Amino acid sequence: MYVYLPIAEMSVNVLVLLGLGAAVGFLSGLFGVGGGFLMTPLLMFLGISPAVAVATGTAHVVASSVSGAVAQYQRNNVDIKMGLIMCLGGLVGTIVGVETVRVLRKAGQFDLVISLTYVTFLGVIGALMLIESINTWRKSQAGGVPTARKSGQHSWVDGLPFKMRFHRSKLYISAIPPICIGMFVGFMAAVMGIGGGFVVIPAMIYLLRMSTNVVVGTSLFQIVFVAALATILHAMQNKTVDVMLALALMAGGVFGAQYGTVVGDKLRGDHWRLGLAVLVLAVCFRMSFDLMATPADLYSFGVLQRGP
Amino acid sequence: MHLRSLSHALIAAALIFAALPARAQTQPPETVEADVSTRSVSITSNYTGTEILIFGTVEHSRQPSAEAGTYDVVAVVEGMSLPAVVRRKSRVAGLWINTRSVRFSSFPSFYGIATTRPLEEIAEPEALGTHQIGFEYVRMVPSGSIRWAPATPEEAEEYRAAAIRLKKRDGLFVQSDYGVTFRGRSLFRATISLPPTVPVGPLTARLFLFKDGKMLSQYKSEVMMERTGLERFLHDKAYDSPLLYGISTVLAAAAAGLFAAFAFRRTPR
Repeated sequence: MYVYLPIAEMSVNVLVLLGLGAAVGFLSGLFGVGGGFLMTPLLMFLGISPAVAVATGTAHVVASSVSGAVAQYQRNNVDIKMGLIMCLGGLVGTIVGVETVRVLRKAGQFDLVISLTYVTFLGVIGALMLIESINTWRKSQAGGVPTARKSGQHSWVDGLPFKMRFHRSKLYISAIPPICIGMFVGFMAAVMGIGGGFVVIPAMIYLLRMSTNVVVGTSLFQIVFVAALATILHAMQNKTVDVMLALALMAGGVFGAQYGTVVGDKLRGDHWRLGLAVLVLAVCFRMSFDLMATPADLYSFGVLQRGP
Repeated sequence: MHLRSLSHALIAAALIFAALPARAQTQPPETVEADVSTRSVSITSNYTGTEILIFGTVEHSRQPSAEAGTYDVVAVVEGMSLPAVVRRKSRVAGLWINTRSVRFSSFPSFYGIATTRPLEEIAEPEALGTHQIGFEYVRMVPSGSIRWAPATPEEAEEYRAAAIRLKKRDGLFVQSDYGVTFRGRSLFRATISLPPTVPVGPLTARLFLFKDGKMLSQYKSEVMMERTGLERFLHDKAYDSPLLYGISTVLAAAAAGLFAAFAFRRTPR
């Protein structure tokens, strides 16, 4: 059963899209990650142009982060004030990101930049995850207890001005680091089509020293708005948001994520985490291969802004 | 007896004399009459490409049978002309990067051609060139601006050949050497299939009748290609009111997320 995508202007088997949505949703349910960093490259492997893959990916991020954010909000795990401050930065980052995509596309270098960015990100994340899962595995084999992080140390973050009180996080810190993190999230969401949880969550823990229980909820809360803005701006500036594609992916994702959460509760994380690391590295290798291997044809058609 | 055979011969001679000039003078020239199976192609959500059937007859056909091959028919379906950029990659620090690009201000988005036999057997290049028949004679206008135009004629040719090759690879330049078949002395039909990737826009169907390398008659018709229904609605919204389209997409996404959160709410442990 084929569906014609109005913006991508191609016909794709809807079962493939549902399956892809479900598979990425399953992984995100299992690991609590957004899955955007897998969704965008996989869409590109399907032959969807990188710009459409990224822009449609932002719409997909909205869906998956809304459902996560609601669940976290119900458990009172969202620092709304912190989230809004981060959104402020996110606004700027998104605008810059969408404009960057437009300029790169016009110059014919977007495909290259997106591939390079993904290869770097997936390579680093895949490697970190691989090392971490191997370490935890070793430790669990040896019967050791994971060491707790040290806290209470002061850092350069405490010296910054514009201090604000964040009640939910029980923090009194400068507004500058959250704004900067928000900006970075917005930029990544716009350029890569991802929620960026795997970068933001560590940044919030280590830079802002937020407690882990509010970090996930707050990051999900702010990415809802940032990804929503990125989707709208991509739709306006680049006309690359394919609503049919997004809906097909979400439909699969809703069910995949539920199943993933159920499975994730029953199974031990270490083995699965190792699997995810291998998957991420496989996608990374495939993308770097495409960059380095001699292309079948040195020539290609570029995109021109097309009228209605 | 003698007289009778003489009169027969006279009648026969008279007939021949009467017939010969008349044949040369009054036998009307062959023309082609044709039509396209469909005047409009609708693109709906389940569109997976379509086939355009062009059928017609050779009026005053002198062809003894369908297999005689007296006439050659060339059918061309062309998509609308659009500007195009062709980029060339070269190796920079181990990576393949687009380094040079040439812009064509006009280039057919689709070109499908069906013929009774290979094109080079039908007519000389001059005749084909005049009517833009065949990939080599497709109208491609290089950009006028210095920044985007090819630097040398060789480069122009290189990019032109590359553009044709890419279009062929994507199934947007298709050629079928025996795609036109005669179904009798004068009736013929041709099918040209459009892949789902053909850019949406008006199509032109042209038909040429050749005999001994000479073009005798031609026919031209427009085929509309339009998005209809939901497909049209979404595409129009995306281009005409992108803000509304973007907000709607976000709301749809948020609704899907909320549905997931509430429909599958798990009992707190």
